Amino acid sequence: MFDYHALAPELIVGGTLMAALLADLVLPEERKYLVGVVGIVGLVAALFPLLTLGFCEDLGFCSGATERVMFGGSYVVDDFALVMKGLFLVTGVISILMSVGYIESERYYQGEFYWLIVASVTGAVVMASSRDLITVFIGLELVSGPAFLLAGWRKGDVRSNEAALKFFLIGVLSAAILLFGMSLVYGLTGEITFEGIRAASATLADEPAFVMGVIFVLVGFGFKISAVPFHFWAPDTYQGAPTPVAAYLSVGSKAAGFVGLLTVCYLAFSEVASIWGPALWLLAALSMTIGNLTALKQTNIVRLLGFSSVAHAGFVLVPFAMAASYDAEGLQSAFFASITYLLVYAFMNLGAFAVVIAVAAKTGSAELDDWAGLSRYAPVPAVLLAVFFFSLAGIPPLAGWFAKLVMFRAVLGGTGAWGAALAVIAAVNAVIALAYYARVVKTAFMDPVPATVPLADAGAPIAPALVLALGVTAAVVVVAGFYPPILSFFGDAARALAFGG
Amino acid sequence: MSFTDWITDARNVVFLVIALVMVGAAVVVVATRNVVHAALTLVVALAGSAALFVMLGAEFVAWTVVLVYIGAVVVLFLFGIMITRAPIGRDSVRLDHVRRWPAALIAASVFGVMAWSTTAAFGGEEISDGVLKAENIGDLLFSRYVIPFEAVSFVLLAALVGGIVLARKDPDR
Repeated sequence: MFDYHALAPELIVGGTLMAALLADLVLPEERKYLVGVVGIVGLVAALFPLLTLGFCEDLGFCSGATERVMFGGSYVVDDFALVMKGLFLVTGVISILMSVGYIESERYYQGEFYWLIVASVTGAVVMASSRDLITVFIGLELVSGPAFLLAGWRKGDVRSNEAALKFFLIGVLSAAILLFGMSLVYGLTGEITFEGIRAASATLADEPAFVMGVIFVLVGFGFKISAVPFHFWAPDTYQGAPTPVAAYLSVGSKAAGFVGLLTVCYLAFSEVASIWGPALWLLAALSMTIGNLTALKQTNIVRLLGFSSVAHAGFVLVPFAMAASYDAEGLQSAFFASITYLLVYAFMNLGAFAVVIAVAAKTGSAELDDWAGLSRYAPVPAVLLAVFFFSLAGIPPLAGWFAKLVMFRAVLGGTGAWGAALAVIAAVNAVIALAYYARVVKTAFMDPVPATVPLADAGAPIAPALVLALGVTAAVVVVAGFYPPILSFFGDAARALAFGG
Repeated sequence: MSFTDWITDARNVVFLVIALVMVGAAVVVVATRNVVHAALTLVVALAGSAALFVMLGAEFVAWTVVLVYIGAVVVLFLFGIMITRAPIGRDSVRLDHVRRWPAALIAASVFGVMAWSTTAAFGGEEISDGVLKAENIGDLLFSRYVIPFEAVSFVLLAALVGGIVLARKDPDR
């Protein structure tokens, strides 16, 4: 029968969804924030089975194999899946914390808002364990569906309408492309599980229809991780959507896309790496360069973070782009580097968006000009802004430097001119990125305060939930910068997937 | 196989008729200037695809196409048109786009590449004549594919909750 221990995180999150929906039904309007509390409690509760599963043997719950294969290989709970589930749950908790003050101030369908975030996280949790085409696709739909709706939450705002519509149309298009690619792959291999596809695909590398299938699958996931040239929706959507939703999209939904892309490439298409290797190289190089160059010209902080998240998607892809030419050891180091980068990126980007929410409450906008001289009247948010932006730029001793270090180590570990060329492109881009991150910090600390800001109520304290979100992310970014093993331990655990591949 | 051999098989004649009707309907969908006609012709195209699934022995998929696409999606289209554009009929706003010829070129070349590569891959293969029964699908859904099945039900619930929030009139506060 079912392995209830292995499925416990999904069952708890699913139960939380039902509980939150009931809570929303019975709670009076002024208590709707309690739906968010239910969501947070549920997501945190789902973290515990992850621990008991991860340290199963040490705790004496089980012996022998730690990898649990269920449903004929369709659903696997291994260390990689546990790490990614943990990341998704924590992202969900921080996103809800960021939303509480923000969405409460508009008194706008709070209960449903939190509920949809938890629903989207549920999809991401399912995706982390998916090892067949059907489950991975449905998981991705459960991640995106609620996100489309959340992007349009500010119904009265034309920007938000545009954000949701653009995101929805692009999302539907990418889902169609992905599904078409999957149908070609299934038609040619006759297999639905990644393991079966890998076994059946060894002779198919020269089959045109199979190549098209693989490329379509890459394109479909490319939209989800907003890699160039499939990125154009991201900055518009981030800017128009409510800021906590933009934060969730740039971390949770993007990481879910990465999980899908990495598991499909590694486990299903590992025999045909000659097809996706060069394609990912191109995606990585273009995403970094175009993302960073466009970010240089932005005057709105949220748009700037949108383009910077496009560039970071490129950095995460860098180790994978060379994976096709690696041996088993190189593959593991590529996996370690990408997952570690993703973990670090998640915390610093969520933190950066939390700062944007905190500061926008004082300045009334996310335009860079209005942020001038921020340190004079809001010193704490200004310092946190510097922390997260310098971390995103990769300056020691903040966590971002370690992510960049493992990324360069993985790409230089391989041999050949292509790897070296990609490393050079990544290095140039790291410098470009520093320019625009530093410009924001310089404006906040050095420039004179404009006449229109701060707002009259700028002295009001930041919402306690937002303070908690800022505190957690800042603590992780600073501590992981001084002592990287607290995050790289999880990246290390995720190497497990490379053994299976 | 010569064309005479091909055409004397009754199944191929049925396929040819259905396929031609589908292509014709699909062209009308994009070419007509009346939105309601486009939606109704889409019914014909979708019914044709359901008929093709019946020919392949996938009757459950065929009925799903009828129920979901013809029964729900197209009706939703018509309701959408009815609610948003009061004068139903020939539309004064042109439905096409200035870049329709480049778009048509790209669509045609994508079709060419797909047709070539799929016929090259599956050309001479005959599928085994197993008829897929709804009973088997039901068994699979509740055993092996129970996780995606439950996930889909959350997708629908999320669409319901979010759709109501976005569509409803805001109460005065």
